[in-house]
Amino acid sequence: MKTRISTIIACIVVILAFSSHAFGAGSGPVTTKEKQPSVTFYNDGVKLMKQGDFKGAQKKFERALKMNSKMAEAYNNLGYSLRKQGAEHNKEALGHYNRAIELKPDLAEAYMYRGVLHMLMGQEEKALEDHRTLTGLDRKLADALQAAIASGEEPDGLDGLATSW
Amino acid sequence: MVTAIRLLLLFILLLLVACGGEFDQPVVSDRVQTQRYTWSLPEGFPLPSVPADNPMTPEKVELGRQLFFDSRLSGDGTVSCASCHAPERAFTDGQGRATGIHGSIHPRSAMSLTNVAYNATLGWDDPNLTQLEDQILVPLYNTDPPEMGLTGREEEVLARFRGDPRMKRHFLSAFPGDDEPVSIDNIIYALASYERTLISGNSAYDRWAYQGKTDGLDEDQRAGARLFFSKRLSCFRCHAGFNFSGPVRYEGSESPDAIFHNTGLYNEDGRGAYPEPNTGLHRHSGQPGDMGKFRAPTLRNIALTAPYMHDGSIPDLAAVIDHYGAGGRHRLQRPQSVTPMDGPLTDPLLTGFELTPEEKKQLIAFLHALTDETFIRESTRKEAPQASK
Repeated sequence: MKTRISTIIACIVVILAFSSHAFGAGSGPVTTKEKQPSVTFYNDGVKLMKQGDFKGAQKKFERALKMNSKMAEAYNNLGYSLRKQGAEHNKEALGHYNRAIELKPDLAEAYMYRGVLHMLMGQEEKALEDHRTLTGLDRKLADALQAAIASGEEPDGLDGLATSW
Repeated sequence: MVTAIRLLLLFILLLLVACGGEFDQPVVSDRVQTQRYTWSLPEGFPLPSVPADNPMTPEKVELGRQLFFDSRLSGDGTVSCASCHAPERAFTDGQGRATGIHGSIHPRSAMSLTNVAYNATLGWDDPNLTQLEDQILVPLYNTDPPEMGLTGREEEVLARFRGDPRMKRHFLSAFPGDDEPVSIDNIIYALASYERTLISGNSAYDRWAYQGKTDGLDEDQRAGARLFFSKRLSCFRCHAGFNFSGPVRYEGSESPDAIFHNTGLYNEDGRGAYPEPNTGLHRHSGQPGDMGKFRAPTLRNIALTAPYMHDGSIPDLAAVIDHYGAGGRHRLQRPQSVTPMDGPLTDPLLTGFELTPEEKKQLIAFLHALTDETFIRESTRKEAPQASK
């Protein structure tokens, strides 16, 4: 009896040990977000954003966020869509970037967008702070942000950073 | 039952220790690793990638440093690696073309070793030279022209180090598992390990960009940075990223494509020919379109590495800016006749630009802001070793 219990416990332990490794190594639990309506609105927003329809994209991201207020990517792209509609939206855009980073502190694109906005608003120190964070998240984006801050010019290709779910 | 549980707990402990250890250890080869190496990297710099068969150790780095400055490593004992890669010149030699043993002149300029650990390719134009361990063979064994002249004199060179108790101790310490630690292979491993430590990232620009010191750049340097990274000049498109260079490689990076550029230095025949033997990527690929293509070197410490370009044909930074401003030398020499025939193979990125004298001064000031005084001081302070009596 003792042997049988020991064997069973040992098996459980081995299984648990390997399971925790699998999670630790990487790819996280499977998401069901693809089935949620918020994702549909979000993806439509990305499409419009890439077409340069920032007003239309803004509406889609807002609808996505109404359904799922925890969607960091939607906040980030909403911020960008607003910022591209004119400097009068900068403050609001900044709030959305901040919210995106609050929800997802490792969302590299949010630091990129916020860093560019800080640069455009003349807040070089804050822009460089975002650059420093970005060096640990995405080296290529960090280099692009560095060039943008140093030049004071908005980099090309920012629309293309948004990705669909 | 209690015994079984104790055994079980012990088993779990062993399992966790074994698994945890697997993730904590760096990549090691089948060699005995004497001591883990702790990198001292500048703020914001990625971890250099190190080949699995040559893991970093402090002992190997120290041996490599000793060898780097030791002229006994050359066939006739007259030149060391540092003869062409002098630390005070950011590991270049101040000459247009490097000089090897017997005064033999190399067709190209000695490249800086600043941040060489990050280079996706090594040398001016070879797309297949990607590891320092392979590149080091070139100066050691090259016979056309001879650089360090090791060919056929390997045993002679090894005997010099075997006969020096101090150097023998360094070899033993760096390669404790080897029956014969003083070997050519180990010399190469050690030199590569040392060269990987030549990391520079504490310039005025770094203090501004990475270290939170907004006053790290003075007014001219800051204005020069604006120009350098502007779309108008686009210097940063070739001298890109944290290393201000062509493609880089580091731990976790994607495998970079090798990129080479024709910067419009020559057009010998109206079809873009470069003078032999410096035809760049073309001499490796044989492709006509690769004529005159060379790697964009790092601009870190660039103010210390004159003269410039692969053949040292441009004397100073002001002249380099004039060259790029004109969109190439042939256009610089004949500004009134800019046609495709003036440089058919010149990289399309070289569109030329105009600068006011003030802007030119600012751009030069920025390039000086890439000098890392600490790196130069630290590298220079390490004196060349003397042979033991």
